[in-house]
Amino acid sequence: MGTVHSAAIEPYRARLFVEDEIVKDAEITVGVNHRGVERIMEGLPVEKANSLTEKICGICSGVHLWNSVLVAEKGLEIEIPERASYIRIIVAELERIHSHLLYLAHGNEVLGHETFSMRLFYIRETVMELLRMIGGNRVQYGVPIIGGVRPRAELDEMKTQKIREGIDYIREKVKEFADRFTSDPMIMSRITGICPLSRKDALRLAVTGPTLRATGVEFDLRREMECYDPFEFDIITQDDGDVKSNLLVRVFEIFESVKIIRQALDNLPEGAVVDRSWEMQDTDITKSYVEAPRGTLYHSYALEDGRVRNVVIRTPSMANIGAMQHALIGHHITDAQLGIVQCDPCFTCTDRAIEIVKI
Amino acid sequence: MEHILGAIGTIIIGFIVSLWLPGLERKLIHARIQQRIGPPISSPGIMAPLKFFFKQTIKPYSPLPRLYNSLPLIGLLSVFFILLFTLPEAYHLGALASIVAIVGFLKIEEVIYVFMGSLSKSVMSLRMPFPDLAKGAKHPNVQRSFLEDISAMRAFRLIAFGSFPLYIALFIPAVISRSIFLGDIVAYQQINGPILFSVAGVIGAIVFFIGYIILLNEYPFVIIKAKADVIEGPYMEYAAKWRALIYIMRGFLMFTLAILFSVLFLGMPPTIFTWGILVNILVAVLFPMLMASFSAFAPIFTFKQFYPVTFGATILGVVALLAAFI
Repeated sequence: MGTVHSAAIEPYRARLFVEDEIVKDAEITVGVNHRGVERIMEGLPVEKANSLTEKICGICSGVHLWNSVLVAEKGLEIEIPERASYIRIIVAELERIHSHLLYLAHGNEVLGHETFSMRLFYIRETVMELLRMIGGNRVQYGVPIIGGVRPRAELDEMKTQKIREGIDYIREKVKEFADRFTSDPMIMSRITGICPLSRKDALRLAVTGPTLRATGVEFDLRREMECYDPFEFDIITQDDGDVKSNLLVRVFEIFESVKIIRQALDNLPEGAVVDRSWEMQDTDITKSYVEAPRGTLYHSYALEDGRVRNVVIRTPSMANIGAMQHALIGHHITDAQLGIVQCDPCFTCTDRAIEIVKI
Repeated sequence: MEHILGAIGTIIIGFIVSLWLPGLERKLIHARIQQRIGPPISSPGIMAPLKFFFKQTIKPYSPLPRLYNSLPLIGLLSVFFILLFTLPEAYHLGALASIVAIVGFLKIEEVIYVFMGSLSKSVMSLRMPFPDLAKGAKHPNVQRSFLEDISAMRAFRLIAFGSFPLYIALFIPAVISRSIFLGDIVAYQQINGPILFSVAGVIGAIVFFIGYIILLNEYPFVIIKAKADVIEGPYMEYAAKWRALIYIMRGFLMFTLAILFSVLFLGMPPTIFTWGILVNILVAVLFPMLMASFSAFAPIFTFKQFYPVTFGATILGVVALLAAFI
């Protein structure tokens, strides 16, 4: 299949070696979407470079920007206001909800269930509108800046009330969807036991994020991120690593995100949203990891005269897609697309690798 | 002369109604359930084929291009003949107006998908020339399969087992009326009342409906053109007027199968000389709507789900047959 296929949102190529419609081996190739963002960022002023990272992905744009900003803040040892940290988390969790809803809608589309797919997109609209309200844009809301968040993203009483109403609505609707989804025998028959990944294989293949948690591994980087310390939430895991487990992990993670947002709104500290008192200086290569909707996201760069150097970005889909090659084997060709989609691949994110040739 | 005019008039009315059925299915049911606006009601069945008739005909590479291009017409003709032989004007044609002939024509409609798939060589499933074709690929010298090939194999399997429920349902009225001729089946029902109102008739109608969805390749039995893997399946490469004929054929098949149900289970053959044709049209409208309501809430079945459902429906059909014997 591919590089362009009606069931895939983005271009990639899957070579499925089949016998009687059963996948005997698989090769998934990415690379047609490579834009060389790291190369373009090289030498740009750090603020410009940061805003460019938001263009890496159309789904988790905010978390790319957040992580890129974190690299600068770590390197320059900037302490951001607590209110800014809370707003960043609200935006990150809203983004996680919209990413997971997109995943569920796309999963249902590949499953052939257009009705569920359409309804999930409707639910997702609420999150998109909340993000637009906060950042002024549905896809690239550009909330974090070095030292805090954009003043445009300040949350007043009216905005916090709208977010509360929005997340209540999402929680109710996603619960309704989950009840309907899990009680449908036709759907359960299509997704149970399909393309499973064992816990051992997931660890061996460096799988990350919800795809890893769907295999039973209790690892969520948010637990290790200092900014998430004030919030209580559960790490959602499932045991089977199949399509069903992957879908359910994300459904339950939406509820956890709602929980985090509610706590953030209830305890939103007073004060400024940005600290502009920092000074630019040269830094060594600084690394930062955050838990993006698809797993662990890595950004690193050094600063030299206010410009970025040696940019490296590694996205979670890179590891997860590779693991799917393994998960497809032994399953029907119609389930193969579902098997690839179960890891929530993002190819625009993934096509990051650059080849460095020494002359 | 009156017979000929009656047959022509009924077929024309049937054709006009059939053009609206895909629109009704998609606009009134699918779009409404999915809470979206949906296409204009005339778009899927009328405007889309009309548009395709005026498009430039692109001829895909095929080992037998003439046969490949004529397959939609063959399919449309087979459906046309099924409708023709269900008309009361055709009952004096003997064996042609019988269940056996109907099954034969339905088989032609089914088998064309095998030919369509196996005679088409699309570019959709061919990959772009990546360097790993030459280096690094796990299996560099494997035979490439086309998406249509896979569809053809699936269509072949469907012929083998997928159409059982419909064919069993077709024979239930024949068993009850003790005749395979449509004229006799209709006459039996005019004396004894519609077969639908018997135990065997009710079960048979359910089995017929399942068979109707399978034959129309609609969700969840859409495996020969499942978007998740084979996209448009056997008719992926048909363009312009050939694609228009496929769209028309599907709408016409929807209408014809519903008419077949009216004849076999209600004892009401279509004719423009009686108001009974309104019942035929009502059945023709109800069937796609029921199908759309069901398919809107179903995922695509793979063979893992397809086999047990077909087996279950076949068993149900056999139960209805036994009830018909009793």
